[in-house]
Amino acid sequence: MTSTRTQAAVGTAAAAGAAGRAVRSGRAGRRRAGRGPLHRSERMWGRLFITPPVVGFALFALAPLLFSFYASFTHWNGLSAPLFSGFTNFRTMADDPQFWQSLGNTVFLMLGIPIGLAISLALALALNRRIPGRAAFRVIYYLPGVSSVAAISILWQWALNGDFGLVNQLLAGFGIEGPNWLAEKAWVKPALIIMGVWKGIGFSTLLYLAALQSVPRNLLEAAMLDGAGAWRRFLHVTAPMLSPVTFFLVVTGIIGGAQMFAEINIMTPTGGPEFGSATIVWYIWQQGFQNLKLGYATAMSLVLGLMIFVVTAIQFYLNSRNVFTVE
Amino acid sequence: MPPRQRAGFRIAEQLDRTDLEDESDRNPMRRRRFITAAAAAAATVGTAAGCGNMQSGDPNTLTFMFRGSTEEREVFARAVELFEEREGVRVDIISTSADQYATKLQTAILGGRTPDVFYFDAARATAYMINGVLADITEYVDSTSLPVDDIWPQGLDLYRFDGDQRGSGAIYGMPKDLGPFSFGYNKTLFEEMGVEPPDPDVPLDWDEFLDRCAQLTGDRDGDGTTDTWGTSVNVGAEIHAYMWSNGADWLSEDMRTVTVDTPEFAEALQYVVDLREVHGVTPSINDTEGLDGYQRWLRGQIGFFPVAPWDLTLYRTLDFEFDLCPYPVGGTGQPATTVGSLGIGVSANSRKPDLAAELAMFLACDPEAQAIIVGEGQTIPNTRSHAASWVQDTSVEPQNKQEYIDIVEDYGRFVQDMLTYTPEWLHAFHTNLQPVLEGRREVPEYLAETQQVMQSFLDTGHEQFRIDQEANS
Repeated sequence: MTSTRTQAAVGTAAAAGAAGRAVRSGRAGRRRAGRGPLHRSERMWGRLFITPPVVGFALFALAPLLFSFYASFTHWNGLSAPLFSGFTNFRTMADDPQFWQSLGNTVFLMLGIPIGLAISLALALALNRRIPGRAAFRVIYYLPGVSSVAAISILWQWALNGDFGLVNQLLAGFGIEGPNWLAEKAWVKPALIIMGVWKGIGFSTLLYLAALQSVPRNLLEAAMLDGAGAWRRFLHVTAPMLSPVTFFLVVTGIIGGAQMFAEINIMTPTGGPEFGSATIVWYIWQQGFQNLKLGYATAMSLVLGLMIFVVTAIQFYLNSRNVFTVE
Repeated sequence: MPPRQRAGFRIAEQLDRTDLEDESDRNPMRRRRFITAAAAAAATVGTAAGCGNMQSGDPNTLTFMFRGSTEEREVFARAVELFEEREGVRVDIISTSADQYATKLQTAILGGRTPDVFYFDAARATAYMINGVLADITEYVDSTSLPVDDIWPQGLDLYRFDGDQRGSGAIYGMPKDLGPFSFGYNKTLFEEMGVEPPDPDVPLDWDEFLDRCAQLTGDRDGDGTTDTWGTSVNVGAEIHAYMWSNGADWLSEDMRTVTVDTPEFAEALQYVVDLREVHGVTPSINDTEGLDGYQRWLRGQIGFFPVAPWDLTLYRTLDFEFDLCPYPVGGTGQPATTVGSLGIGVSANSRKPDLAAELAMFLACDPEAQAIIVGEGQTIPNTRSHAASWVQDTSVEPQNKQEYIDIVEDYGRFVQDMLTYTPEWLHAFHTNLQPVLEGRREVPEYLAETQQVMQSFLDTGHEQFRIDQEANS
């Protein structure tokens, strides 16, 4: 009878031997497999299947990205070959007041994100209750989310009309003389924020609604048994459980907000009164396609991409310490 | 490994292999079909990608890309049909709305898929000429039997380039048209309001014009609110007329210095601002936000308004009569206004440059094509002989068609942004203009400040020109 220690030693040696064999046989196996017609065939098919996405990524994402790195250091008019110009585009950008103004406008328009999230959450809480016509309300709030941006922009252009617009007619009902929303520098950005909130509210509400329905009831019941009121249950149980959705909505909202273009181009095609509504992407498009400065436009795009990356990375870092989950 | 186990492994391996091999052996066609289908799909994708090609490989097919309103596109499509019948070729038409055209063309050029024949904005012409987008069609112009010499010389010269300046040298395009931006008036409204109509030959001075506008501004339906106005000024389109006739200009003669900071310019801009802010003879900001000047003109609420040739088809359907008159004159006593133009160019990469150039010239000056185009009221005749007979025709509005001819031959000008490398300097004038138009900012102060911004953009544009010129020389 072998002692326990011996068994253990044998076991260890056997394990080590097995591991060694496994490594060796793995190599040998791969060599053998490489020779087998079945594995060769599988490899071929495997490669064939991954080729389209890899080629697609290389052609339509990686290659343009690499080219844009190069193009941002060139004088490129989009009509003939780019000419290397060093850091000229980046120096121009630093001194370009319209670049900074459009960047400022873009950040200002992002004020709509927290406003939209607060309203969405309130709506989701309301729609999470058993109220009559709940399904109809959900559809109504989600409709703008599936509508064309161009159609929405034209609709709001009319709604925000200073003279006959629905918004000002509504305000007039309360005795308020509404501003000329899209023609006044002070009001054009708030007008776009209102429209943006209206447009995005359905999607955020839907996500919040799903998140609300997945908050474990036992946690809420436990809090109730501990004497927590409705507000405390919301604050200490529901809200933390919603933080992953909030995080997702903030990240996607900032990325989407930084790329705002179609609404601006339709509602204020010249960048708004005193350039008051020109977003950074609109300005990039204008420089690239209207003023034959594709090199400069690419440099701005690169800086914008970098900014989005940094902001998103910071968000991920902050979020990693604050997200609550129930395993 | 015990023999049994080894045998079991072998059996399993064998089974696995057999299953797979048998599957493929049993269905050799399935795999082949799959490969064939995959290859076909790849080919289809490739072909589809190739379909984006705006140049046809077929020697008897041209691609023609242009833009315009729905009516204008129909008219030019008919003219193109005539070309197809005459030449026995096929022309694939790519048309877009005006606001999408520039981006679409730019994308086609970037992708190396420039159409054989295409409209181009005169303001882009220098860039297209210098960067090898447009073909030099001088040899085809010299050898054609079409009446190219009959085209307005101003129009032809606009598309000449000597490598340094526009106006002389090789021909890089045909004028699709010349667009005299004439002033006009609502004859019916003048009669209703009992206002003396303007003389077609003697322009009103600014005081007389203001006086007529004041008479035309009023409450026609008696509901207590103003519903007719003397005029409505679209500053972007009309400031040129007021400024030029007052002796001012955008740029110096060599087009290197912005000259908006002059007393003449300030006086002209102030006059335009005062029409609304002081005299109230144009719709207010709020009025124009509800229905802009153009829409109010269409409703018969505006007395004086621009009447451009491309609007004639629509204007002839309106409920009121209209006619042309010269723009009111400032300090120089001479009227002025803009002449616009679109070019028809041939791609430098076209495989059929002779046929493409023939189509460009055909649209610009062929008598039958011009009859279709002009007959629908989209443009004035592009040839002088046709224009001479056209002005005699009083069967359709406007009666005073001679005004268009006077503009082209006498007092019309090209805005300089059509001749500089980029038009960004002119855009800068309008960017912060709103407070001035609303009377919230002093005109001279604004002009002094904006001159520097405009000058900076003009210099940048010239620098771009210099770099591209060197690179392409």
